[in-house]
Amino acid sequence: MWTNQKVMRGLALVAVSLFFGIQAYNLQLGTLARAGAGLFPLMISGAVGLIGIVMLIQARFEAPEPMGFGIRNISIIMASLIGFVLIAHFVKVIVAIVYLVFVAGLAAADYSVVRNVKISVVLIGIAACFHYFLGLNLPLL
Amino acid sequence: MDIINNLAFGFGHALTLHNLMYCAIGCMVGTLVGLLPGLGPLSTISLLLPLTYAIPTDGALIMLAGIYYGAQYGDSVSAITMKIPHASSIVACIDGYAMTLKGQTGLALFSAGISSFIGGTVAIVVLSTLAIPLGEVAFLFGPSDYCALMLLGFVCVSFVTTGGHMLNGLSMALVGVLLGSIGTDVISGSPRFTFDMIFLSDGVHLISVALGCFGIAEITKNLDSRNQFTPFSGSIKLIPTWPEFKRIIPSALRGSVVGSVLGLLPGGGPTLAQFGAYAVEKKFSKYKHEIGEGAIEGVAGQAAADEAAARTSFIPLMSIGIPENAVMALMMAAFIVKGIQPGPKMIGEHPELFWGLVASMWIGNVFLVILNVPLVKYWLSVFKIPYSALFPSILFFCCVGTFSLNNNLDDIYITAAFGLLGYMFLRLGLEAAPLMLGFILGPMLEENFRRAMLISRGSFSIFVTRPISGTLLALIAIFFIWQIVAFVRQVKKGTPAPAAPSH
Repeated sequence: MWTNQKVMRGLALVAVSLFFGIQAYNLQLGTLARAGAGLFPLMISGAVGLIGIVMLIQARFEAPEPMGFGIRNISIIMASLIGFVLIAHFVKVIVAIVYLVFVAGLAAADYSVVRNVKISVVLIGIAACFHYFLGLNLPLL
Repeated sequence: MDIINNLAFGFGHALTLHNLMYCAIGCMVGTLVGLLPGLGPLSTISLLLPLTYAIPTDGALIMLAGIYYGAQYGDSVSAITMKIPHASSIVACIDGYAMTLKGQTGLALFSAGISSFIGGTVAIVVLSTLAIPLGEVAFLFGPSDYCALMLLGFVCVSFVTTGGHMLNGLSMALVGVLLGSIGTDVISGSPRFTFDMIFLSDGVHLISVALGCFGIAEITKNLDSRNQFTPFSGSIKLIPTWPEFKRIIPSALRGSVVGSVLGLLPGGGPTLAQFGAYAVEKKFSKYKHEIGEGAIEGVAGQAAADEAAARTSFIPLMSIGIPENAVMALMMAAFIVKGIQPGPKMIGEHPELFWGLVASMWIGNVFLVILNVPLVKYWLSVFKIPYSALFPSILFFCCVGTFSLNNNLDDIYITAAFGLLGYMFLRLGLEAAPLMLGFILGPMLEENFRRAMLISRGSFSIFVTRPISGTLLALIAIFFIWQIVAFVRQVKKGTPAPAAPSH
């Protein structure tokens, strides 16, 4: 069940529906004529949940489809982005760019230090152009 | 006569040095992203949207439009030479690549380029004649009609983008609506889904959603699949013989008409148009027996339709104010950022913007033919840049684009979170394009729904008794019944349902 994409799809939608639906229910609902803040999101969550349930039922009648979820690449990309923000905050954007290129590069089919150095230099150049010519307020240096 | 006057007025605006430059930049960037695998018009427009804050309104819109229709030219080039499928060039891969295998790459590229030019020109005539009358129709629309039209748009987009599995797309559109409701409720002023966090009180920014779902998630997906394409290295002989040239014209004209019509429909646009035109060629062409094995008609018809639909899909946005697909939803965001509400009043209030954009589309057409026919050889060299060198740069641009929204580094966390979410949805087989449409239309849908219910004093009958919304909802009902019948039949047979080709 956990490896069937169709089942997981239905479960994910039911989860989204519950996440928004429960919060919306706790907001002011009002009447149909004078809807409160929660009514419309509650209706939409209901529809999402309904679709999720229909998908779960459909999945019972259809052949399972395997789930392909590559943890490695998405983790590398997330690590590179979060690290970029942290380094840009506490050190400087220049260092953050080098970090981004070198860490994200781990997800590529082939790893090359020389290529990463080249990309970093080009990106630092572009960042400098944004900073000095387009007035973007990046904490560059 | 009015149209000629208006077009002349438009050319006056489009031919200024600045606007020409923005048009050329848009067309070049469009061709480039059309060529490269894994970077479509959706992600590019979201990457460039923050940069357009700094440029004047007409220039920004001309540039973004150029990216969209330019990408249609570019992706047929990569489909013909290397069989790289993009959303809107799946069909070009069939006959176009078959022609390359026969050694007729030059002829295929020429047919695609010239047909795209013809398609674009026909669509501009349609755009300049139809937009204003349609805008007058839009004044008849009440809140319930707008609601029904948006729902029909969701259903159609879901159907087109997810290839027959309509529920997948529809659920994403509705999740988009929910994400769009994060922030302060405009009518009551109470915060929704903000978890008492201040940065969420203005809602999630469109750029974060777009860059996350189309930038970061797509990059990761491409990295997972590790596709390597070998650059095209054959020779290209561009100039066709007269009999070959004569075969292009009728197909291109048929394709232009099909594309112009399909571009107008909710959920329409280049993807749908190319399939429609290809089917028409298969049925009506004089050379229909050759189609599928590398016929000129198989390339010309779909290329013309592709390009025509990319332009006529601006009509629903500019005359009714409702975008019909995800790219148009992003264009709508660009209008709104500039303080212009697209819709029936726009053409009257900002004629220079509308006619300037229309005229720029024709100028862009000329640029694109030059870029994609005589200069095509130089473009093919971009394939020498490996994806491993490209994706860190795209990630960096995602960061810069997000940062430039509020000059705040923390916004990048939100973009990254949407990247993760978008990736999970992709892996669950759920497309992000309907989510984008739902996200942008969500607040409008809610506002119109609440207004309609206020008018009807809480009765749903208003949606059925008004002729426009009644008809639109009936169409949605037909769609659903058809889906249920198809599912029941498939279960009875025990074989997988015939899904329309998806990307």
